[in-house]
Amino acid sequence: MVSIARKNLFHDKVRFAVALAGIAFAVVLITVQLGVYLAFRANVSVLIDHTNADIWVTARGLENFDFGKPFSEKKLYEVEEVPGVAWAEKYLLAFGYWKTPAGSQETVQMVGFDPETMVGAPWNIVKGNPQDVKYFNSVFYDEAETNRLGNLPVGAETEINSHRVRVTGIIRGARSFIQSPYIFTSFKNALNLSFVNKGNTVYVLVKVAPGYSAQEVKRRIQDTVKDVDVYTSPEFSKKTEDYWMVNTGTGVALLAVALMGLLIGTVIVANTIYTSTTEHLKEFGTLKAIGASNWDLYRIIIEQALINSVIGYAVGMLVSYGAIQAFKRGHLQILLPVPVLVGIFTLTVMMCLWSSVLSIYKVTRIDPALVFKS
Amino acid sequence: MPVATQTVLRLDRASKTYGEGESAVEAVRDVSLDLEAGKFIFLMGPSGSGKTTLLMLMGCLLRPTSGSVYVFNEEVSSLDEARLPRVRRDRIGFIFQGFNLFPALTALENVEVTLNLKGYRGGEAREEARKLLTHVGLERRMDHLPEDLSGGEKQRVAVARALAGNPSIILADEPTGMLDSRTGRLITEILRDLAHEEGRLVFMVSHDPRITALADQILQIEDGHLRD
Repeated sequence: MVSIARKNLFHDKVRFAVALAGIAFAVVLITVQLGVYLAFRANVSVLIDHTNADIWVTARGLENFDFGKPFSEKKLYEVEEVPGVAWAEKYLLAFGYWKTPAGSQETVQMVGFDPETMVGAPWNIVKGNPQDVKYFNSVFYDEAETNRLGNLPVGAETEINSHRVRVTGIIRGARSFIQSPYIFTSFKNALNLSFVNKGNTVYVLVKVAPGYSAQEVKRRIQDTVKDVDVYTSPEFSKKTEDYWMVNTGTGVALLAVALMGLLIGTVIVANTIYTSTTEHLKEFGTLKAIGASNWDLYRIIIEQALINSVIGYAVGMLVSYGAIQAFKRGHLQILLPVPVLVGIFTLTVMMCLWSSVLSIYKVTRIDPALVFKS
Repeated sequence: MPVATQTVLRLDRASKTYGEGESAVEAVRDVSLDLEAGKFIFLMGPSGSGKTTLLMLMGCLLRPTSGSVYVFNEEVSSLDEARLPRVRRDRIGFIFQGFNLFPALTALENVEVTLNLKGYRGGEAREEARKLLTHVGLERRMDHLPEDLSGGEKQRVAVARALAGNPSIILADEPTGMLDSRTGRLITEILRDLAHEEGRLVFMVSHDPRITALADQILQIEDGHLRD
């Protein structure tokens, strides 16, 4: 069967190229922005999501994970006494200054965990043994931060807050979202290196005993331990994500750019398809005269939209792939699970179909006299 | 093919008015016509006399404001918008002054796409399109785009397209208007043969006095009124 839609599209190559460029541009914007957004969303709570704690106990009024406030570690002992608590661990997060070999300083976030229990330890080890952080001022950092931290290999020494530290390992997948690299070390080392007073902790991580629910134990801790906030891990993860996504406007800004991509793509495609329809109006009129129904005409426009969307999506994805590889070399994380790619494809098809509405409206109202004008 | 005396198209006091009130324009007034198969009929008249409107009424592209249009005794003027395409598809072939070919399609595809609309599929449509183009003498130009064809060749493609699906009625709107006199005459002869040899009704709007001798009947229209 002869496809007028396909023939018309490929016949007018310049217009087709403009339409594809518009769709591809929209696809790239949406893909990259969504990818950054998802990575961002996953990153802001990456440490929370990778501990095996069920409950987080924090200082009262904490806004999010990254801005932890110290409180007395005596709370740890109170928490341990609460029925339903299998174990409780101190966990420290504190800012510090990392000295690079060039002499400059980078702000870092020290993460202190117990190397005996390994609760809150890094999970994806590239080099070294994370239990080695028990040694005096031994630290791990994420390979994505290598350049920022001065390309220090395992065994190299530098300073945090003017205290000498030794790189004992490299990890992967724990890149800080807020641009201050995480430096993993033991709780004891972190306390020494940071400005957190001794006898304090920043978090208490809790594992719920078998037979208890996290909500139930959370309530008991809230009732028993004063002047702290208590969250289940999913709650704390969401609170942190919401803070960065909504309160700071960062996530909204990323989504807004993706939405703009969608709008720009829709406008470009709608304009292209509408102009094409207008220029081919006489052909549509002729088709109508020779017996095509309105649905036959709609099918042509819809087929054009679908061809545009499929090829535009493919071109957009190719460009996005190149862009993502380039971003990854710059250690910008992008997360694009298959369902999201399928979702973007669906969105592209919807965008192109929606762009056809004006054209469909136009052909519905073709004046039959049009076909008789020479 | 219909028998030579069968009425295939009939207008019964058909009128068409555009607009309303004081700005209303009566383009066709009270026209009654009985048109038989096998006839080659010309419609002539000055610009704005109602030729195109009458052709559109006959081609089921417009509904009359009053009166009726019958195609093979089926009253089509009261059919709704969804059912009219069927009548045009099954019964009527159009030929336009400006050819109205699809520029992105080859001559063969132009005919094939019409056959597709009329229910022909795949190889069957392609084979039938080849036959029709051969019938109008374009066997060597089938794979050319309209932009590569001469005016006469384009109009032959349009004739082949009008014949797709074997309609009994051919409506032609000044088909020689954009052709030189020799080519115009050739096209007119083809159309005459479609009427006389194949038994179709060919109804043609024309201004061209050089070809009127070929017509079986010449109708004149002026201010929407028809006279023989």
